[in-house]
Amino acid sequence: MDLLTALVLLAVAAFLAGVAGSYLGIGGGVFLIPFMTLALGLSIKIAIATSLIGVIATSSGAASVYVRDHLTNLRLAMFLEVASTLGAILGAFFGLLVPEFYLYITFGLVVLYAASTMARVRETARQRAYRTGEESPLSKRLGLSSVYFDQEDQGVYRYRVERPVAGFGVSAVAGVFSGLLGIGGGFIKVPAMNMLMRVPMKAAVATSNFMIGVTAAASASIYYSEGLVNPSYGAMVIIGVFTGTYLGSHLMEKAKASNVRFAFALFLAGLGLAMIVRLAFTGVPL
Amino acid sequence: MIGARSGLRLVQDRIATLRRAVVTEVEDRNRLIYHVLRGGVVISVGVLLFGFVLLAATGGEVPDHSIAPRSLIGQLSRFSPDGYLSLGVLVLIFTPVVRVFLSVLSFIDERDSKYALMTAIVLVNLITSLLVLA
Repeated sequence: MDLLTALVLLAVAAFLAGVAGSYLGIGGGVFLIPFMTLALGLSIKIAIATSLIGVIATSSGAASVYVRDHLTNLRLAMFLEVASTLGAILGAFFGLLVPEFYLYITFGLVVLYAASTMARVRETARQRAYRTGEESPLSKRLGLSSVYFDQEDQGVYRYRVERPVAGFGVSAVAGVFSGLLGIGGGFIKVPAMNMLMRVPMKAAVATSNFMIGVTAAASASIYYSEGLVNPSYGAMVIIGVFTGTYLGSHLMEKAKASNVRFAFALFLAGLGLAMIVRLAFTGVPL
Repeated sequence: MIGARSGLRLVQDRIATLRRAVVTEVEDRNRLIYHVLRGGVVISVGVLLFGFVLLAATGGEVPDHSIAPRSLIGQLSRFSPDGYLSLGVLVLIFTPVVRVFLSVLSFIDERDSKYALMTAIVLVNLITSLLVLA
């Protein structure tokens, strides 16, 4: 495949990753990395560096719309970013040292896990609603609880944030995966916020989208300094994602998305398997 | 007894009031962050497109490696396409950093010391990783 075709294909893939990423609250890296390694034949470390650039673009493009529309919980995002940026720096240094073989395996497993979390059913209005009971003292002291407006059913939902310490820990882990594998880590953070911390799904997606850009910036500069960021690939990804997120974020706000999510989950599971299967057929340096 | 129509209007009014309350509470900071994030991506895309125009004009090869920040200025002044493509990518990497920096300022402005501190830690983390770059 000549370089120009590869660049155009990459821009198209980045567009789709941008739509999917902003729609589902993930960085789009889980789509881009298999595409770059399996279809374009790039080395996985170049793919990771390029994907991080895409994650920042997804986050900045989509998150800005969510912030404007008050879906994002800014305080919660800042709180969790303390953990995720630290994790991302560690993850990036680790990622530079680890042989490619292990990156393939880890990536495949992580993507399979992402597929399983995405296959879950979306919440109903009843589940979004405010829960009674004692608020966690830390959550109260930090003022993490918030409100958001849901366009789907025109409801204003007040919610409180539960288990802040556990969420903090999960964010650190998500940060490590982000730096290590070049993904946003949204598929770890969104379920954690939604199920563990009891943040309504749309607010969780928006907050995750907001966070992944900062997390990815922490590791992207490390990959850049190692000369792993190819500016041509980077440019294609930024332009593709920029246009894709615009569409995706507008879809998400009005969405009833369970079918789409399920389709994506199947697609993701296929990609994860493909990454692992590839190891069996090609010589990736150990 | 109230009719269905006026009942509906009551509910709609209630929603509108609640929504306005939500909006005014967070308006200023959210607007600023929106503009920074969007602006950063737009500038980055603009610089990249300029780089591609230069590339087409000079008829050079598509670059396959990035330019280190310290040698970037020389490249930019010579209007090298490689330099502008690298700059576009760097602008994007810097966008979240600027956003976090502005958040520190806005929390200080609100005298919210806990969040100013937390945001400052995030900024220190980001600057640490940027020092590797420089």
